[in-house]
Amino acid sequence: MNRRQIWLVFRKEFIDLLRDRKTWIGAFVIPLVVIPLLFLLIGSSMSSVEEEARSDIPLVVLGKADQPLVEQLLAQPGTRLVQTDEPLALLEQAEVRAVLELPDDVEQKLSRGETIKLTLWYDPSNQKSAYARDVVGQAIDRYEQQVVAERLNAVGLSTRAIQPIETSVKSVASDERLTGSMLASIIPLMLVISLASGGIPAATDLVAGEKERGTLEALIATPVAPKNMLTAKLFAVMLMSGISALASLISLSSVLAFAPFGMDQVEYSLGFLNPVTIALLLVMLLLLAALFAGVELTISTMAKSFKEAQTYMTPVVFGAMVPAYMMLPLNPADVPLAYYLLPVFNGMAIFKEVFYGTVDALHALLAIASSLVYVVAAIAVAARFFQRENLLVK
Amino acid sequence: MIEVNQVTKRFGSFVAVDNLTFAIQPGEVLGLLGENGAGKTTTMRMMATVLQPTSGDITVDGFSVSRQSMQVRRRIGLLFGGDVGLYGRLTARENISYFGMLYGMEERALSERIIQLSRTLQMEEYLDRRVSGFSRGMKQKVAIARSLVHDPAVILLDEPTTGLDVSAASVFRRLIADLRQAGKTILFSSHNMGEVEKLCDRVVIMHRGRLRFVGSIAELKQRYRLDDLDDLFMRVVGGEHDE
Ligand SMILES: Nc1ncnc2c1ncn2[C@@H]1O[C@H](COP(=O)(O)OP(=O)(O)OP(=O)(O)O)[C@@H](O)[C@H]1O
Ligand SMILES: [Mg+2]
Repeated sequence: MNRRQIWLVFRKEFIDLLRDRKTWIGAFVIPLVVIPLLFLLIGSSMSSVEEEARSDIPLVVLGKADQPLVEQLLAQPGTRLVQTDEPLALLEQAEVRAVLELPDDVEQKLSRGETIKLTLWYDPSNQKSAYARDVVGQAIDRYEQQVVAERLNAVGLSTRAIQPIETSVKSVASDERLTGSMLASIIPLMLVISLASGGIPAATDLVAGEKERGTLEALIATPVAPKNMLTAKLFAVMLMSGISALASLISLSSVLAFAPFGMDQVEYSLGFLNPVTIALLLVMLLLLAALFAGVELTISTMAKSFKEAQTYMTPVVFGAMVPAYMMLPLNPADVPLAYYLLPVFNGMAIFKEVFYGTVDALHALLAIASSLVYVVAAIAVAARFFQRENLLVK
Repeated sequence: MIEVNQVTKRFGSFVAVDNLTFAIQPGEVLGLLGENGAGKTTTMRMMATVLQPTSGDITVDGFSVSRQSMQVRRRIGLLFGGDVGLYGRLTARENISYFGMLYGMEERALSERIIQLSRTLQMEEYLDRRVSGFSRGMKQKVAIARSLVHDPAVILLDEPTTGLDVSAASVFRRLIADLRQAGKTILFSSHNMGEVEKLCDRVVIMHRGRLRFVGSIAELKQRYRLDDLDDLFMRVVGGEHDE
């Protein structure tokens, strides 16, 4: 190993990549464009659906409209009555949100102590209709409670008589755990995917690109050993994928911190980060970056052209996405031990633990050791292909 | 300075260079001639250690290309014509300087050398512009400067004048003459017989991987009793059935 040579090649590759728009788009498009856009889209569509569901609730009442139950219903914000001959057809067409059928003499029947029968139609495939069902249901419940109270009162009982048990439900998760569980499911996914995709343009350019432009021949005729060249190129690719992962992390954190939708109650907190978890996070990031860089440089070296390299790179991203999505819904406690030994799975599992704040020393050790094996194997394969004779075959 | 000793190069079962033997003296300018696919580039690549001979060996200044490739590489500057490999996003100066540093040059010596070369090659004007916008000839000059930056004793030029206009080609020819004056050993391949006659002391003519002739143009003319260079060339490579 000749450190000066490695540094020279690395520095040149980095300057070269810095000036290449493709590399930057590749490294930053997921973290800085895709992630915020995704969240904004989900967030705004969620809040706009909710907004509409709340602000306007067209209903059809089958039966007399001027009686107290219906009046109470129409007192709910957003509700309005629609007159029609085909209520159910309108419901299916989402013109109205719910249809309520009730007898004309609700009051009289109730005062006689009878049970009245109501029918409420809604469309479960329509979120807004489901919301309307809840609104109508709540109005009816409240009305029912009033009737129950009156009836109990009439026989000299309080409402407490029919409420022998009062349960209050409390969460044991701290704010940190709450933030963590949200981050823990999304951030590892984004980290792994951006690690895999961030280095691809660099890896493609640094071998297949050089081969195609004819610069590689002059380069391998210099007194720089191929292994030093490969090391420098590996570092350059790792740096690009690391930058991409870091950008993802920052981008996601800020999106979540300023989340415009439904997460206001959860205070954003990074309390789960401490020197040990940060170190573990960085080590795993580094190992995964090295693994992806090794695989991507191998592909770039084997490819006969720039185009071919680009084609073969696509499966690498899938190789990252599959484990990432498979593990997305898992709580760290439910991750099988074997996953800590599988490539990419182990990184995902450790990222989860870090963001859940439940780092386990044995898991960390297994993941680091197995990752090291994969990294060494990937780099050995890359080095095997990165030989003078192979590099010249066009 | 360079000794090619019974060198054979196979790609799979295809024999690209077949039992080739010749020598280049120190300070000599040798022309390498042959039709397309004759094995000229392959031969030069083996001299430059980027390809390994399948059998036989080449020594450069006494160092074997297969066993002492690092020593060989330090002594060689190479320029492959056709498509010149330069980093388009780097400036001309950065391209040249990168290679200078890879050859182990010190920064001071390097920057002086670049100024000197760019003066010789008349390329000072665009030294700090990015190469991607350069014309063919401008790129070729940068590539020439890059291959000479570490002041190699042996210079391998594969079709160096391809794509150069008349004035650039003449600048290049003057450069070769200067390099020969400075005692450099130069091997260059070409399809242009006239150019070869002007520049070279001796020529090697290859045909389908084999050596067909080695000697001066004068000897060649004498042997075949022909004066026209292209006729001579055709005689040498076409005379397969005569022998
Ligand atoms: N890497 C390689 N793999 C397989 N075959 C090769 C390789 N390099 C060269 N060849 C073959 O070897 C033969 C000699 O090629 P070479 O490039 O040395 O010819 P050349 O004399 O330089 O021709 P030209 O004048 O066209 O440049 C050709 O038939 C070529 O197809
Ligand atoms: Mg050639």
